[in-house]
Amino acid sequence: MSFVPVLHTEWLKIRTLRSLPGALLALFAVTTAFSAVAGASEDSDPEFDPLSMALSGVLPGQIAAISFGAMAVSSEYHGGALRLSLAAVPQRGRWFAAKVTAIAVPTLLVGLVTAFTALVAGRAGLGSAASGLTAAEQVRGVVGCAIYLMLMALFAAGLTALLRSGVATLSVLIPFILVVSFVIGDAAGTVADFLPDRAGQMVIHRTYDGTLGPWSGLMVTALWTAVALLAGAWSVRRRDA
Amino acid sequence: MTSIDVQDLTKEYGTRRAVDHLTFRVEPGRVTGFLGPNGAGKSTTMRLVLGLDRPTSGTATVGGRAYVTLHEPLRHVGALLDARAAHGSRTARDHLRVLAASNRIPNRRVDEVLEETGLASVARRRTKTYSLGMRQRLGIAAALLGNPEVVMLDEPSNGLDPEGIIWIRELLRRLAGEGRTVLVSSHLMNETASFADHLVVLGRGRLLADTPMREFIHARVEPRVRIRTTDATALKTALARHGHDAVEHEDGHWTVHHARVDDIGRLISQAGVPVLELAAEEGTLEQAYLDLTATETEFTARPLEV
Repeated sequence: MSFVPVLHTEWLKIRTLRSLPGALLALFAVTTAFSAVAGASEDSDPEFDPLSMALSGVLPGQIAAISFGAMAVSSEYHGGALRLSLAAVPQRGRWFAAKVTAIAVPTLLVGLVTAFTALVAGRAGLGSAASGLTAAEQVRGVVGCAIYLMLMALFAAGLTALLRSGVATLSVLIPFILVVSFVIGDAAGTVADFLPDRAGQMVIHRTYDGTLGPWSGLMVTALWTAVALLAGAWSVRRRDA
Repeated sequence: MTSIDVQDLTKEYGTRRAVDHLTFRVEPGRVTGFLGPNGAGKSTTMRLVLGLDRPTSGTATVGGRAYVTLHEPLRHVGALLDARAAHGSRTARDHLRVLAASNRIPNRRVDEVLEETGLASVARRRTKTYSLGMRQRLGIAAALLGNPEVVMLDEPSNGLDPEGIIWIRELLRRLAGEGRTVLVSSHLMNETASFADHLVVLGRGRLLADTPMREFIHARVEPRVRIRTTDATALKTALARHGHDAVEHEDGHWTVHHARVDDIGRLISQAGVPVLELAAEEGTLEQAYLDLTATETEFTARPLEV
């Protein structure tokens, strides 16, 4: 069986469930709205970073990306849906690869549009405070932000395939991102910098003084994602459906 | 010729043995009823055939090949395992389109099976609004999608209304008539008796019987003859002369045990007994099945060959 029809099926699965395109719409709306608010409300302080300020909407917005990744996989774990899917595509590795691709591509594309819009919205509020941003910095911020969102969606997808439950994945990831990362993140030790979300978020900072730079930070997140996806693939391949 | 072959198949979940050294073959051109109490291993066997669960030992093949090696498997094997498998937020048509795309089955075929299963008018409704019977029809539509030579249905009559039950009966007969291999599990005996030609019976994961349905019933249920007459004395005398014993019932009819209608009819006609009614009382599948499960331990000791 070739890959293209399998990918077609996985893409149709996403398109035909309202909640999944809805999650991508939420990603766009939440990120842009929070960036616009952050841009309009910020006073200048000594550590002011116009790039991360303009893109700060991605911090709440990533919840939508994570939900998208988790839900796209968890829909297979209701009422024997996975059995039907694997009866149609018994090559499980190929099936999972198609699933992952069908999550990655839309998240990346929506992420690009979202990050660009958020940057424009954030800059509109910041006004002259953002005028010092170079084109290269802004491109890096937008592209990096989109890749970050895609990696987080895939991280959730891998974890969901491993735990076989979207609820379990979201109840681990969302508190982690909302609470743990904020709490220990401020006490920026070297270990906290390597958490999957903290590391990747380096890419939206204009300046960085920690161990990780923008791209090396994103690489760390990519490694976390790769591990989650491998664990998920192992679970799909090895366990009874 | 595409048959389902199960060879020495065993599946253990932890310490529980769900399927225990099972060997049987499901032949094309007839409907094979798959019987057994809940937990006997029927669904597990179907999942093993589809490569969804991995056997502890033994093999299951379709047309001589392991399911996972089939190219575009929905075109070879159609299965209904669980009517809840369709996502409630998807429409029936989208559900089938999604399945069809992976095996490059055209959307035209989606509309055909929706028509065939009587769902065409509700195809654009989300399946969470469906009754169990409609979900069951959708599951059957999914099984028929690839026009497969092998059809495996797990409890297809669940939740169907009386018309639906007649429809599924005729569908199964037609599929077998077209030369397809049809395996249908059920715990409804009268229902199975109405469509099956052959039976595979499981108990605690083991094969209890693999035999044509008629033989299964005849071997296990004594034949009886029902008679009504205006002259009870003459009837009793005639029967007694040939060593038959008749029992009278309250409504005035008589039952002759261990007797065939051909013999009794000839005999009482020769004796000149006036007959108002004469009929063979066929044993039912239910009686035969209960007789089998009652003697299960004795039965499993000597495996039945076809």
